[in-house]
Amino acid sequence: MISVVAYGLTVGAILYIISIGLSLTFGTMRIVNFAHALIYTMGAYVLFTMLRVTGGNFVLAAIVGVAAAVPLAWAIERFVIRRLYGQSIDYAIIGTYAVLLIGVDATKWIWGATPLPLSDPIGKYVNVLGVDLPVYRLVVIALAVLIFAGLELFFRRTVVGKIVVAGLEDKDAVRSLGIRVDSYFSLVFILGSCLAALGGILYAPITTIHPYMGTHVLLLSFAVVLVGGLGSMRGTLVASFALGMVMAVTGRVWGPAAEAMVFAVMAVVLVLKPIEV
Amino acid sequence: MLLMVNDVDVAYGRAQVLHQISIAVDEGERVFMVGRNGAGKTTLLKTIAGFLAPSHGSIVFAGRPIAGLPAEEVARGGIRYVFQDKRVFTKLTVRENIEIAAHAAKIRLAEAIERVVEIYPKMTRFLDSPAGGLSGGQRQLLLLGRALLGQPRLLLIDEPTEGLSAGAIDEVFDVLEKSKGTVAMVIVEQNLSVVRQLADRVYAVKEGRVCSEYRDMAAIADPSVLEGVL
Repeated sequence: MISVVAYGLTVGAILYIISIGLSLTFGTMRIVNFAHALIYTMGAYVLFTMLRVTGGNFVLAAIVGVAAAVPLAWAIERFVIRRLYGQSIDYAIIGTYAVLLIGVDATKWIWGATPLPLSDPIGKYVNVLGVDLPVYRLVVIALAVLIFAGLELFFRRTVVGKIVVAGLEDKDAVRSLGIRVDSYFSLVFILGSCLAALGGILYAPITTIHPYMGTHVLLLSFAVVLVGGLGSMRGTLVASFALGMVMAVTGRVWGPAAEAMVFAVMAVVLVLKPIEV
Repeated sequence: MLLMVNDVDVAYGRAQVLHQISIAVDEGERVFMVGRNGAGKTTLLKTIAGFLAPSHGSIVFAGRPIAGLPAEEVARGGIRYVFQDKRVFTKLTVRENIEIAAHAAKIRLAEAIERVVEIYPKMTRFLDSPAGGLSGGQRQLLLLGRALLGQPRLLLIDEPTEGLSAGAIDEVFDVLEKSKGTVAMVIVEQNLSVVRQLADRVYAVKEGRVCSEYRDMAAIADPSVLEGVL
């Protein structure tokens, strides 16, 4: 039971780190960003490369992996997404999905299609109620909680965060005060992309790195965002951990149904509480 | 003239809403736009504020053409737009609403709060309350206070007294009255009593066109004059 809970919390933590960026991007820009999955994948691949360059220094490689997301996110926002503001949501889906497909092929071209394994960077276990749990997974859970706290502080305590919150509610009212709200939204997009890269980096040692890892996790992230509420930071946290637990518990009972159950929960939530786009 | 709107056409897609509309506003002048719902008054304000681009005509503010500029640039140039529907940031507190406006106006928060409280002293009681919990009148006063923080030369106000109680209308009226001469205003208003007491100039708008302009306020003292437009 302890191991199921720990697994559910780990998956929930990873889902939160990835989904919060997706949720914020939708909330601020009304863009369904499939390219988020590419940045997640890139984070993991840059980590893999940098681990070789730095001789296995995971923290340094992770920092470079997150930093690498900044120019990539900037380019996607500047040259693709910015051209889609105010357009039909369909264009955004097509545009960002095209970026994802190009990125996946580029990944295969650079790193190959063969899955790349990574070992647990900490490699230590802690005994919790008689069950040995990897310390790394506990670190991932703690990081997700820290990120949530950091984002809460950012959006509640800083004027930049408050402008974003105000812009989420009424973009035109913020603009009428003379504030270039799109610049703040771009900042949020880059922040969300960095978190996607971090999600890929943190999940890489738990799974394997492959060109399609992002597309796989993206669908789960969409489920989280829809269940948690588009643009809702607290809702995303709750939904991430709840769906992580759903996956872990279902996986324990019947492995093949673990992910299907996430989408079943999403469907029920959508039936009970339809979204307005 | 501070603002010159000349022969402006505006359309939503194929539906043309404004037809060769022209208005002028002098420094410190209070100009009211009256007319039926759908006459194009709000569209005109949104066009001046930069939320809509005219398909024809020019808008010149303080000697600078502003037609088609983005709303944030228009605001930075000295025009503030107070939307209809009392649109405060409901998820933030009153203090945070003021903080955002203070940030935009590049003034300290303490000074900004002081200025808003000067306009509406009772606001001190609500500073840490969610702005979403304010009454319609309090919201309108917060919006006016927020807009005035930027020390604009022109304030565009859309239906400031709409849906307010008599007491709240009086409070909004006082703020507009006190601001006389310090800032020019273009106000869309249906309450003719307010128009008659505050206006320096009135434009009657009908079907996207200015049908009458009144500079002599004695001319609108007769109730039948403006009521015929509404």
